[in-house]
Amino acid sequence: MYPKEIEKLLLKVQKPGRYVGGELGEVIKDKRDVDVRFAFCFPDTYEIGMSHLGIKILYSLFNEKPYIWCERVFAPWIDMEAQMREHDIPLYALESGDPISDFDFIGFTLQYELSYTNVVNMLDLGGIPLLSKDRHGLEHIVVAGGPCACDPEPIADFIDIFFLGDGEEVDLEVIELYRECKREGRSRAEFLRLAANIKGVYVPSLYDISYNEDGTINAITPLDGAPEVIEKRVMMDMDESFYPDNFVVPNIEIVHDRAVEEIFRGCIRGCRFCQAGFLYRPVREKSVECISRQCHALCRNTGYDEVSLSSLSSSDYSQVVPLLKELNSWAKPENVSLSLPSLRVDGFTDDILDEIKTVRKSGLTFAPEAGSQRLRDAINKNVREDELINTCRVAFEGGYTTVKLYFMIGLPTETMDDVADIANLGRKVVDTFYSAENRPKGKSPRVTVSASSFVPKPFTPFQWEPQDSMDTLREKQRHIKESITTKKITFNYHDSDTSFLEAVFARGDRRLGKAVLEAHKRGMRFDGWSDCFSLQNWLEVFEDCGIDPTFYANRRRSFDEILPWDHLDYGIKKSFLKRECERAYNSETSPNCREKCLGCGAAKYGGGVCFEKR
Amino acid sequence: MKNVRVFFEKHGSCKYISHLDTNRVMLRAIGKSRLNIWYTEGFNRHAYITFALPLSLGFASTCESMDFRILDDDEDLSSVPERLNACLPEGIRVYRCIESVHKPADIESAEYDITLEDTSDNISAKELSDKLNAFLELPEILVDKKTKKGMKQVDLKQYILDFRMKDPEKTSFTLTLPAGATLNINPNLLINAFAEYVSAELYADITRTGVYIKGGEDFA
Repeated sequence: MYPKEIEKLLLKVQKPGRYVGGELGEVIKDKRDVDVRFAFCFPDTYEIGMSHLGIKILYSLFNEKPYIWCERVFAPWIDMEAQMREHDIPLYALESGDPISDFDFIGFTLQYELSYTNVVNMLDLGGIPLLSKDRHGLEHIVVAGGPCACDPEPIADFIDIFFLGDGEEVDLEVIELYRECKREGRSRAEFLRLAANIKGVYVPSLYDISYNEDGTINAITPLDGAPEVIEKRVMMDMDESFYPDNFVVPNIEIVHDRAVEEIFRGCIRGCRFCQAGFLYRPVREKSVECISRQCHALCRNTGYDEVSLSSLSSSDYSQVVPLLKELNSWAKPENVSLSLPSLRVDGFTDDILDEIKTVRKSGLTFAPEAGSQRLRDAINKNVREDELINTCRVAFEGGYTTVKLYFMIGLPTETMDDVADIANLGRKVVDTFYSAENRPKGKSPRVTVSASSFVPKPFTPFQWEPQDSMDTLREKQRHIKESITTKKITFNYHDSDTSFLEAVFARGDRRLGKAVLEAHKRGMRFDGWSDCFSLQNWLEVFEDCGIDPTFYANRRRSFDEILPWDHLDYGIKKSFLKRECERAYNSETSPNCREKCLGCGAAKYGGGVCFEKR
Repeated sequence: MKNVRVFFEKHGSCKYISHLDTNRVMLRAIGKSRLNIWYTEGFNRHAYITFALPLSLGFASTCESMDFRILDDDEDLSSVPERLNACLPEGIRVYRCIESVHKPADIESAEYDITLEDTSDNISAKELSDKLNAFLELPEILVDKKTKKGMKQVDLKQYILDFRMKDPEKTSFTLTLPAGATLNINPNLLINAFAEYVSAELYADITRTGVYIKGGEDFA
């Protein structure tokens, strides 16, 4: 229940439903009955955070334990933040309404780099000392997980513990250790030292980083017996892995307002720009029977009439057609519709279309990522132009008129000809509509071409690559715009300013912590929102902190440089990434995990696609 | 097939669910309850529900209603509230289900319980009550009202169908205003005009307590 004092503020802010909790499925416990209180913080608004699958899984998992009470906390939007600061209302958790300073754990999920200032701002709003070194006593343990934990150095000063990889087991092990330490009256330092020995736990304060004169890293040295290398955790048996049979069902509309079922983790493809494709290896599927049972329970318990089958590439699920048929055996009679996001161009078949066409006929979205075949080969996207054109023809003949195409600009080895081919490909899709035999009569096609700016990420073959300068990116955007000659194509592009900041933090080191703190002091937050983001302010922060952001974003690293995340092990060998990078320079593709094993290193986990029959 | 009307309360955190979101909450509750109700037959089949008189964001209510059609003529309506409540958030409680008697267009007025407070505490509740009484004695209360044809100046005075001060020590009162599809006066119009009159920022706790048809009969 929300604190009484906010009642009078709620009608002064947009969407007050964000701040009150009280949803169906929320877990209420008596705080006197639990040993550990966990504030699960999502560093963005309620509508974004409530759409996130990870929080749903961990919220239910934690609350299954009688001795843990996990509650939800979201970043208040700027209007509410102003009200809270004016009236001295600390950041509170939605279930109890208690300030987060009452909690043992304050946990953040790090989904994107531009939320770092929100993490710090939320600690500040909660009255928690911002820096790890300023927190004492066995309370307020600030933990974080999620994809950005693979290079967490820019916020290492603020976080006590990072969780690497899948959280289902390691989080509980750390909570259990905390509970013991509390019982035995151990100190915070002792707890952190013990935690550092749990697999998947990274305690940044136990590592010393030294630098060379040129600014690169000289050495990463573990202290106090902390392990040299921290290995990620992996849930190998997805059928046995915990999955909630109920969600907190929001009372206000959120971004993804539907039931979500994870069908597999990982991706077989190995697209060279894609961090998720490497971080979550190996591919581990759930069985058709398990997915169907879990989906059915979720729809029954939440009342949702739509379920989304989530994964990095849905059509790569090995049993996709049998799965859709099985799901529709109960979904159709119960008026539940299925959605299958992240479809690949080459995975879109008549069979799939038949099974999902029963649902809303919205547009289709495909991601060729690059305009020319040469560049698609270099990034290992492995989609051929004729496949895209055939797929669009199938879609148009199936009654669709709207197609969205996603591309990236600034990819390694890209030339201006590759860029112009983005517009050309869009035009070919428009032409396909007019040549399709059974196209929707009397309608014209709408093709949206979106171009985002490539951000090189850790644990990808492009982790050593420079990002294009903002000027170059803008020039490429202009070039696409000028190459589009038909009004049937709408061209969207992402602001290159935010991509630049993302690139700075994605491969940043610990020295960036100073800039994050300074940005927070200057009132910066919600950097992912154009309402709030200002590159100018950030450039001033970097300048005043004596940091050159281009060192992180636009510098080519040598293969033998010590990278800020070299002590973190996601199961992918550096030698493999280097090999893939060199193949990219030669525009050579690599087979996917189902075709041939490339020996990336993920086979050491002993399961998943690495051990399927090929 | 039966035309059915359920009545429900809306309070606590559910005050902050907008009308559109209330619609979604109800659709999910019906889905989850597995009540056998009539679905639209278009391309996007969905449960068909309508609301006689939408409630503003931030208002509580003891008398909201929602209409739908139940397919089975033998369905026991007395079990419907319980079935829906099991599928609704705490702040929405269904307390009655009947075959609908009136048409939504029959609605003429609504009653509100209102408690006012000066957010800066400069004006005491007693003083505020006195000022409210004086305000309502003014010969006319002119406000700008948004209508479908743009802004229009209206005199609210003529629309105050009933006013009773319940507790001057708390500035608690009951107000009846026209409601329905043709003429609907939101109590906030009057409260905002009063706030301007006393030059203060007021917090209003508003609960809709009655919806009436012609002659003051309860909408059923």
